[in-house]
Amino acid sequence: VPGGGAPLRPCSTRGAQRGIHKPVIDRIIRVDHAGEFGANRIYAGQMAVLGRSGVGPVIQQMWNQEKEHLKKFNELMVAYRVRPTVLLPFWNVAGFVLGAGSALLGKKGAMACTVAVEESISEHYNNQIRTLIEEDPEKYKELLQVIKQFRDEEQEHHDIGLEHDAEATPAYSVLKTAIQLGCKAAIFLSERI
Amino acid sequence: MWCLSGLFGSRVGPAWYPLLRVVSKGSQHYPPVRALQASAVLGRASNEHKEPLASPSQQHFDSPPAGHQPEQKPQGLHHSYTGQGGQQSEDYESEEQLQHRILTAALEFVPEHGWTAEAIAEGAKTLGLSVAAAGMFHSDGSELILHFVSECNSKLSELLQKEQKLVQLGEAEKKPIDEFLRDAVEARLRMLIPYIEKWPQALSILLLPRNIPSSLNLLTSMIDDIWHYAGDQSTDFSWYTRRAVLTGIYNTTELVMMQDSSPGFEDTWRFLENRVADAMAMSSTASQVQSTGEAVVQGLMGAAVTIKNLAGLNQRR
Repeated sequence: VPGGGAPLRPCSTRGAQRGIHKPVIDRIIRVDHAGEFGANRIYAGQMAVLGRSGVGPVIQQMWNQEKEHLKKFNELMVAYRVRPTVLLPFWNVAGFVLGAGSALLGKKGAMACTVAVEESISEHYNNQIRTLIEEDPEKYKELLQVIKQFRDEEQEHHDIGLEHDAEATPAYSVLKTAIQLGCKAAIFLSERI
Repeated sequence: MWCLSGLFGSRVGPAWYPLLRVVSKGSQHYPPVRALQASAVLGRASNEHKEPLASPSQQHFDSPPAGHQPEQKPQGLHHSYTGQGGQQSEDYESEEQLQHRILTAALEFVPEHGWTAEAIAEGAKTLGLSVAAAGMFHSDGSELILHFVSECNSKLSELLQKEQKLVQLGEAEKKPIDEFLRDAVEARLRMLIPYIEKWPQALSILLLPRNIPSSLNLLTSMIDDIWHYAGDQSTDFSWYTRRAVLTGIYNTTELVMMQDSSPGFEDTWRFLENRVADAMAMSSTASQVQSTGEAVVQGLMGAAVTIKNLAGLNQRR
């Protein structure tokens, strides 16, 4: 909070014009955009390794849905004039490395990564839905609808991952915990930076 | 003190309004900021706690409830004064609105007095208040400068919005990006012309550590506004590079303007045109470099595959 003490309202006038609580919406859209961007890169990494294997079409289909999600958040970002996170280039590389790395552990490894990430994202979307409903469900109806739909689709991805023997991966719980910790850190940073 | 306000009729503003009128107009002594802020606290404190004040002097030495904002607002002093029932009377002017009026009035005196408490005092006089009102603000004129910058940014925003409406209605042509940026920066810098003599002083005050968060905030939101109306829809890292480049152009052009003595500042506008052209060239160079890089990588991959084939290493599985 700037400490000029002068009667200035540089940011809140824009939020006030639409009647939305700009700082909250800013964070939500910024972190969701970063999340979908990262998910895209993870699937890209997995496809690079497992694209020609039996599980390729499954991963491709999940990747296509993530592309749709990213497109939607790009639109929302422009509509609400939200700044993207500075860490995008970093998530670009980290996501691809995570996807490719987990895929190198085999088909089960890739599925385990999917399960871990999608579980984190579903939980995160649920938190956001709670926040928005607490704020004002009427005002944020459109955004709530989008997040609910995306949460359902991420949950589907999670279930697909389980169907494809994710839990049979060696060191599954260690892998899952590590990836989820990474996701939590990514969410924390992308909201703020 | 609250029940007294009724005596003066409903046009009276905050409780300490009468105080300002009573202090002698000829006095050049500006009471320390604390004293007047403390009386301003009378209003704030009662607003917070919503109980009638027993006596003004009791509250006089309370420290302002600085951390106690009911909502998250960027800067302090947003409270309106409420009447006894806790209801907001429309005739009451909030402290912020009053400060706004004083600072706006003070701008007229800046070319003569600079960005100082004197200009604020003169501005207060034209509103019929005592010169002691200048004590509400810092003695270095920070708030006056920040107020001015904020007003200029709002004016620029309105201007760009109006232009956008004209383009949407089909009454005007959509400008190419370089022309748009050039015109927007020029329009914004032209607002400095009446105050150009004293502007270097203002710039140095804006760079004080105390003021940097606010001035940076104002600068970044202005640049973001310009790009928004220019039609920027980037959602990747170029969001940052574009704003950084435009900030650089704006700041350097502003500095050139300070030292420009050509008629109508034509040297400045030519400098601006060149910088914007540089930026456009830079971005096209960057994309050229990227596509060249990609082509080189493709070529290397092709060479690697060829070598693998020749060496018989590329067995089909």
